[in-house]
Amino acid sequence: MIAKAKTANDVAPLGGGTNLVVEMRASGVGPATLVSVGQLAGLRGITIADGTVTIGAATTVSDILRDPRMKQVAAVLVESADVFAGQMIRNTATVAGNICCGSPAADLVPPLLALGASVTLRSGSGERTVPLDGYFTGYKTSVRKPDELLTAISWPVPTAKSASRFYKLGRRRGDAITMVGVSVFVSLKDGVCDTVRIALGAVGPCVMRSKKAEAVMQGKAPSADLIAKAAQAATAESTPIDDIRASGEYRKEQVQVLVQRLLTQSLESLS
Amino acid sequence: MNKLDEPTVAEQNVNFRQIGKPRTRTDAPGKVFGKTPYAGDYVMPDMLHARVLRAKVPSARMTRLDVSKARALPGVASVLTFRDLKIGTVATDIPGQTGFKRRATDQQILVDELVRYQGEPIAIVAAETVEIAQHALSLIEVDLEPVPGVYNVFDAQKPDSPKVFGTDNLVASYKVRKGDVEVGFAAADVIVENTFTTQYIEHAFLEPEVGLGWEDEQGVINIRSSTQAVETFRYIADAMGLPHSKVRIRGALVGGGFGGKCDVTVELYIALLTKATGRPVRLGFTREDSFYGHGKRHPFIITHKTGFTRDGKITASKIDITSESGPYAFMSPYVLMYATEAGPGPYLVDHVHIDSRSIATNNMYTSAFRGFGATQACIAYEQQMDEAAKVLGIDRIELRRRNLLKTGDAIATGFKVQSAVWTEECMDRAMAALGEKPKDKGPIKYGHGLAAYQQGYGRMIWLHDTAEGWVGVEMDGTVLVRSGMTDIGAGQTSSLAQIAGELLGIDMMDITVYNSDSSTTPLAGTSSASRGLYMSGNAVRLAAEAVRDRLAARAAQHFGSTADDVDFANAQVFLKSDPRKTMPFKELVATCASEGIHRAELAIFRAPFGDWIDPETGQGQVHPDYTYGAHAVQVAVDTETGEVTILKSIGAHDIGQAVNMAAVEGQIEGGVAQGHGYALSEELIYKDGCLVTPSLSEYLCPTSMDSPRIESIVLESRSGLGPFGAKGIGEPGHTPAAPAVANAVADAIGTRVFDFPLTPEKIARAVRTARKAG
Ligand SMILES: Cc1cc2nc3c(=O)[nH]c(=O)nc-3n(C[C@H](O)[C@H](O)[C@H](O)COP(=O)(O)OP(=O)(O)OC[C@H]3O[C@@H](n4cnc5c(N)ncnc54)[C@H](O)[C@@H]3O)c2cc1C
Repeated sequence: MIAKAKTANDVAPLGGGTNLVVEMRASGVGPATLVSVGQLAGLRGITIADGTVTIGAATTVSDILRDPRMKQVAAVLVESADVFAGQMIRNTATVAGNICCGSPAADLVPPLLALGASVTLRSGSGERTVPLDGYFTGYKTSVRKPDELLTAISWPVPTAKSASRFYKLGRRRGDAITMVGVSVFVSLKDGVCDTVRIALGAVGPCVMRSKKAEAVMQGKAPSADLIAKAAQAATAESTPIDDIRASGEYRKEQVQVLVQRLLTQSLESLS
Repeated sequence: MNKLDEPTVAEQNVNFRQIGKPRTRTDAPGKVFGKTPYAGDYVMPDMLHARVLRAKVPSARMTRLDVSKARALPGVASVLTFRDLKIGTVATDIPGQTGFKRRATDQQILVDELVRYQGEPIAIVAAETVEIAQHALSLIEVDLEPVPGVYNVFDAQKPDSPKVFGTDNLVASYKVRKGDVEVGFAAADVIVENTFTTQYIEHAFLEPEVGLGWEDEQGVINIRSSTQAVETFRYIADAMGLPHSKVRIRGALVGGGFGGKCDVTVELYIALLTKATGRPVRLGFTREDSFYGHGKRHPFIITHKTGFTRDGKITASKIDITSESGPYAFMSPYVLMYATEAGPGPYLVDHVHIDSRSIATNNMYTSAFRGFGATQACIAYEQQMDEAAKVLGIDRIELRRRNLLKTGDAIATGFKVQSAVWTEECMDRAMAALGEKPKDKGPIKYGHGLAAYQQGYGRMIWLHDTAEGWVGVEMDGTVLVRSGMTDIGAGQTSSLAQIAGELLGIDMMDITVYNSDSSTTPLAGTSSASRGLYMSGNAVRLAAEAVRDRLAARAAQHFGSTADDVDFANAQVFLKSDPRKTMPFKELVATCASEGIHRAELAIFRAPFGDWIDPETGQGQVHPDYTYGAHAVQVAVDTETGEVTILKSIGAHDIGQAVNMAAVEGQIEGGVAQGHGYALSEELIYKDGCLVTPSLSEYLCPTSMDSPRIESIVLESRSGLGPFGAKGIGEPGHTPAAPAVANAVADAIGTRVFDFPLTPEKIARAVRTARKAG
């Protein structure tokens, strides 16, 4: 059915329904047909092989928290899962649903971007793998076509000389919509920053990487000054809006605070 | 001086068997095993479903209303608009027992000409299914022509502002003049002046408003609803032109009220549609209906100007209070009265000058909410005390200690409190439990805060509050209690069982309580104003004592002793002087039954009655008595992000006498959690009268992940007016929690956010501003 879909209004996959059903109730409209993929055992599960971590689309947030291997191969994702929604939602919300809802505040996306994840999309005519960086094209839009199902998310197991962090800034601890979400990944080689990924949530139309901030760090020996400059670049690149949760001005300030803080913590943990 | 070594339970020769113990409540098993039906669980054959059409705009003139298409929809049984109403208005007063009603406080039932707030009901529909009823709403054609509205209390007070209420938007105003503030200020070394504001908040009870109505064979409209007040049957009858005896409200166990189910909610719509269709009608509010469909907590703006001597004695207190009423009066005048009375807090101030007013706007109307204005007053006076301590360079606790009221001192209205005032003991206990403040860690700063309070319990004495209660013993020795009291989850019925059980020597779990039926249980007044236990508990106590006295007299005859030598425990009757002389309670009751000795009693309890306070000076008695206590909080604040983590939260209250210790702790813990949300995250935001936070994802109550362990310290002075010396605790547990959080945050960041709630953004901004200012 999904393979025959022309638009998202005809047929849509249903994961845990914690986003889609809520939206359908609020707006009174929704896709004509829902195809439940959240319960498909074949789409659920975590495998680690050949230096790659692959999680099935129907893997839930709780699954991430329960798998002890995840702390080694994606500590930053566990950090995010740990502050995601509340227990009930975690038990049913899927990783694919979090990506595909396209929310700029989706909490699993910044850590996945920081890990350098890719997503696998499958349609009637085949399968393709696209990097998550570049997957989103704007507010709730992406390169995924209506007839494509997201089946898996994968990323390389991080090297030993790397560290990453996530922070969710919310108005409260449980079931909060993120005001600012920041995730960073840094690896060091010969005393200089090798790979740097800085992902920002809720400060633009979609979750994004701050390439300018990354460029500030890349190939340089880390220092407090460099970190501050990177944080400034990330702040400049973010384009947050004012809403009932926070003003754009506050969000910008917090990008500065959090990028600086998370880079510092990551680098400290490496030294 | 530390009072920790002194006894915190009044030394009295009392030895209770059930009272004061942490007992499982009688309502617990039914709730835990899912057997308890709530109002929404009731269904009837042939039942219709109702929905309410609400105005989408806050201020408009209705130029057209056409319901013909909705009426023609198959499955629709009735569509009612203002044109179908015999009487267009319903009272918004306290549904009490006094029969007095303020003038000009009625509300239109359905929009007649003017829409005065967003969500005001325009039409009600009853249909075969909820879906048909909902569809019918969409077929109703309404033209609403916007008219200029007024959306804040400042604009509303301007002479040329649109008038929402009366000719001046003034819903109520009061004055307090005690002593002479000018003299007081002249004696002051330091004068501290600050303005504090609080926000609109939502009760957010778990169970939205719901009810089911039907007309019985006597032509009585019965309504089973989720309510704090079965006494609303009078207003419903008045609004329908029916005799009071023809409307009956039967409550059910309630899934939370917090003041939000004191006013008429679904009941009147149900009654009107039941009358119109002759069929049972069910109306359940959705969460959205609940946001738009009941009154909120009043936002307040409170300015304190306080004079102090250099050593911290308050010489004068000048307070200016403004509350926002929305377009209708509801409880606003009374809430304002509480805030005014509580103005200077639990402190002895000889020179007090208070001006207060409640102002109408086109924002949502406001009404009762746990604490009833005394809470907002506390938020202001306790933050003011901390600010003053900072200016004076005196320890915050010490400054309070130097000014606390004592028994026999006159509060702001001149009334001299007769019960124990153990604020100081509570303060010391709460602070001791807080312990040491952790060391700051980088941007994470720790803070301690305390708030003390004074909260009246029971009704304002000019409302002449009464409660009735009935206790009877069946021939087999089992005991029944009847009380009109509603049980809103605080354990009201359980406490009545415990009181009757204590006095008759029967375990509370073996007592059956019938409650909250306006026709067949004796009326006891609403579950509000921290009056439930005080009023209905006393009524049941009086009834149980009367029954006990008659049974004791007969037992004395049997034992050959005197009635005062007879005691009741464990379903046995025995002599205190010779406990070997016993007989089963059951046997005594059987004897009484065969001899025609009356085994039941209907008692009435009257609170102190009095007149209004003097309108020019505000002097006189407002409440029968007051509860005192203090709350202490430890927070960690991330000074960069502005996030607050509450680490410890400790309420210490003198509640006179605990009836069920577990229920008391439950009241304190729940009230505190609500106070945490009030301080930090909860806010209904209205933009030009339109609610922009109409869901629980935008209106942020604290979750379990936000809540620390809450500690309750219960002191018992046995000095209250409730049964066995109890005081009220339903509201007091809540009142000081929010200002304690605010004081802890201010302590952590070294500056203060003066307007509630203390969001991360406001806190981060305050820190930055303070840093810039050096
Ligand atoms: C109370 C509450 C708290 C929440 N808290 C958080 C939070 O803290 N952080 C956060 O990020 N989110 C939060 N959310 C939002 C939501 O839970 C998450 O976005 C969740 O990950 C969505 O997953 P789901 O499986 O429920 O998605 P669904 O609701 O089932 O689907 C979401 C979207 O993804 C599409 N979709 C689902 N699976 C696939 C697939 N395999 N291929 C293609 N498209 C697919 C659907 O068609 C739909 O458009 C919260 C929601 C609620 C109700």
